[in-house]
Amino acid sequence: MHGRIKVRTTEEEKARKEKERQEKLKIFKHAMQKIFNKRKEGEQDEEQLEITGRVLSSNPDIYTLWNIRREILIVFSKTKTEEDMSKSYDNELSLTEYCLKINPKSYCAWHQREWVLSTRPNPDWKKELELCNMYLKYDERNFHTWDYRRFVVSQCKPSLQEEFDFTTEKLYDNFSNYSAWHYRSKMLVELYPDLKGGRPIQDNHHKHELKMVQSAAFTDPDDTSAWFYQRWLLGAVKVTIQLVSCTVTQSKSTIAFSRKVSNDYINSKINLYFDGVGVNGKWNPCSGLEYDDLWILEHNHEVTDNLDIKVEHILGDEKQTINCAKYKPYTYVGKNEISFKNQYSEPVIEELNVQLDSCRQLLALEPDNKWTLLTTTFFLYCIDASLYHNEIMANLETLKNLDSQRIGYYSDLISKWSVEQQLPKDYKTDSLQYKIDFSEKITSLPHLQYYNFYQIVDLSHQALTSRILPTLVKLQHCKVLDLSGNNINTLDGFPDIDLDELYLKNNDELNATEIEIFKEKHKSMKIYI
Amino acid sequence: MSFKTKDVTLSEDRPKALLLQKHSDYLASYGLNKEDYEFCMTEYLRMSGIYWSLTAMELMAQSSRMPKDDIISFIASCQDSESGGISASHGHDPHMLYTLSAVQVLAMYDKLDAIDVEGVVRYVSSLQQEDGSFFGDIWGEVDTRFSFCAVMCLSLLHRLDAIDVNKAIDFVLSCMNFDGGFGSKPGSESHAGLIYCCVGTLSICKRMDALKADELAWWLCERQLPSGGLNGRPEKLPDLCYSWWVMSSLSMLNRIDWVDKKNLEQYILACQDAETGGFSDRPGDITDPFHTLFGLAGLSLLGNTTIKRVNPTYCMPQETIDRLKLEPQILQI
Ligand SMILES: [Zn+2]
Repeated sequence: MHGRIKVRTTEEEKARKEKERQEKLKIFKHAMQKIFNKRKEGEQDEEQLEITGRVLSSNPDIYTLWNIRREILIVFSKTKTEEDMSKSYDNELSLTEYCLKINPKSYCAWHQREWVLSTRPNPDWKKELELCNMYLKYDERNFHTWDYRRFVVSQCKPSLQEEFDFTTEKLYDNFSNYSAWHYRSKMLVELYPDLKGGRPIQDNHHKHELKMVQSAAFTDPDDTSAWFYQRWLLGAVKVTIQLVSCTVTQSKSTIAFSRKVSNDYINSKINLYFDGVGVNGKWNPCSGLEYDDLWILEHNHEVTDNLDIKVEHILGDEKQTINCAKYKPYTYVGKNEISFKNQYSEPVIEELNVQLDSCRQLLALEPDNKWTLLTTTFFLYCIDASLYHNEIMANLETLKNLDSQRIGYYSDLISKWSVEQQLPKDYKTDSLQYKIDFSEKITSLPHLQYYNFYQIVDLSHQALTSRILPTLVKLQHCKVLDLSGNNINTLDGFPDIDLDELYLKNNDELNATEIEIFKEKHKSMKIYI
Repeated sequence: MSFKTKDVTLSEDRPKALLLQKHSDYLASYGLNKEDYEFCMTEYLRMSGIYWSLTAMELMAQSSRMPKDDIISFIASCQDSESGGISASHGHDPHMLYTLSAVQVLAMYDKLDAIDVEGVVRYVSSLQQEDGSFFGDIWGEVDTRFSFCAVMCLSLLHRLDAIDVNKAIDFVLSCMNFDGGFGSKPGSESHAGLIYCCVGTLSICKRMDALKADELAWWLCERQLPSGGLNGRPEKLPDLCYSWWVMSSLSMLNRIDWVDKKNLEQYILACQDAETGGFSDRPGDITDPFHTLFGLAGLSLLGNTTIKRVNPTYCMPQETIDRLKLEPQILQI
């Protein structure tokens, strides 16, 4: 099915080829018939091995034929001498080798090899490892060979360091070997985890990898392999779960987290108090899913106008307490200090700064290189997103032009990083009204759970499409929502939230009948079109 | 050292319009000649072949051109009464891949009662291992493809309760890589086809929260090459079937706009064969039902309204998924 080029031939040639194929087909059908008949009759013998072997040699994906061979080998192993069996297994290995030469991506042939090696006594793992090395010389990206190598390694257990060094060797042969970067990532976190600091990789190794990957990326900036590895290294930081806000009104109590957590997590780590008395009840995920970043508490406690509300988040041996303040009658909100800054160690930050300089130099030479610009932008973000915010935004705008196929990605990135700049500021004020305070138009609603307590939410004149509608369920306390001037073309997926007013003006592709049906369904809501 | 990006160039005389009638004719006549060489040599995957053709026909609203009764009785005759599993064809052994294809076809026909459903449930659940993974059949090959087959198959039968879903999820998550993608087993390199299987599993089990969505979607959108086509791994050639594996994954991640849809549409249309009908992996190659389905399904995801809506998780018509009252997860953004 893959890579078969259609060639134009004469009628004569066509007829000759068809005749040849019909010959081949006749032989094939005859062989298959014979195999199935023999199987039916229970004839598990050398002849069956011979015929199935012949058919598999040109069609290694006929899985049932491999099954038949395994059944025979199992029967043989009960009666044959060890020496004879050893020969049978060797034959089987030769057959798989032959098949893999024809189709190096045959799942069946690889699996048969694995089966033989796991079944026969005293397999020669060294030889298998050498075979992997040889196959990887032919095709350094064949993922079947890499998978088989990992299987062999799991059996003969060379030291991790040896395998790690193998990837170094492969990469210095060719930095463009994504498979080797991948394998390296697995071993890096096994060999050098930062147990004390809770980061995925020890500082000095993190730094070393950053250096290596940059020299790879600079060798050929248009080769993408190294850039993915670099992006991973940049994101390899400690992640924690933060309780970001708690909101209590007469109708609803909610708490929001920086990441999605399970019901078990909340039940064991969160305590809510009204006037010092623990509030018990049932936590429900806002999305209805098992893990969520916004949870709603069903409780029977009365919410009066003069409550002292506290929420406790247990973090290991420590406890974090957030006090809620009264924002208006019967409405309490407690907010944590929030930050979206990646926490790197000193040596890594130093290295990032050095690399940022090199990137800027390279960029001066080749201002239109997408990868250099994108990497520069990520360095800026990772080093100090606030300080460099304007430069970051300008770069992303340039990237939209340089790499227009991925305009949607850059737009969502602009939305996310702009929101991350505004959120910590919003969290220092005590308003219940939300309005976007930057000029970039947002295309998605990242971190929306952070905004769950707002009662008036203005998302007008952005570039939102209908794909964001289900996300609005996070606006659990919202009464007035303005979505005017966006690109919403259907209301399909609008969540069940209790709004008083909804503004949908100037969404030009919205269909009038759909709006009527929507109005009919939401009679208590004032809808402005 | 690498040189230029691996890609193809689309020629000016490529097909630029969708040739629905041609494709329908191509699939309707595929396999009519029982002596056809290609047809005979692919007997070992016949059941999947039927699924590819029927789904493509359903998406074109042309499924009445398929021999429905013959297909249903063929499927019933491929079920192994002992294990409950279904084989690719007569004489072949039951396997997870073909059990799923059979169940998908019967679900589209609303004819699940044509087989022993309990048998299928027994077969699929018997292949789950202690670590949550699934064998493809009794011979022990482990692959995330089989996890997806198992979960999809049982969800179509509303019998997910027959397996340990949490363990199945944990296994799939153990296959997640540095780039946010997934491979065929723990330690395996990310590959768009297997990413589809793993994201699909999490979509059916409603556990997409466990994904590194931004990292994964970025890796996926970087599959798009200047020709508009998508490859399945970095530094590989484009291939039409990846317009399905990548785009369906991006759809589930709610980030389909991260690729250039116009550009991709051009590539997909260029993979049509205006003479024979059908789609191939790359422009100018020989067509087959597999790429024909994924070409049409890809266009449906891109919003082509002359094709029925396809469900990104199941690769089946949305109307079938609605009829079965299934609601696979799409990530919020
Ligand atoms: Zn393909």
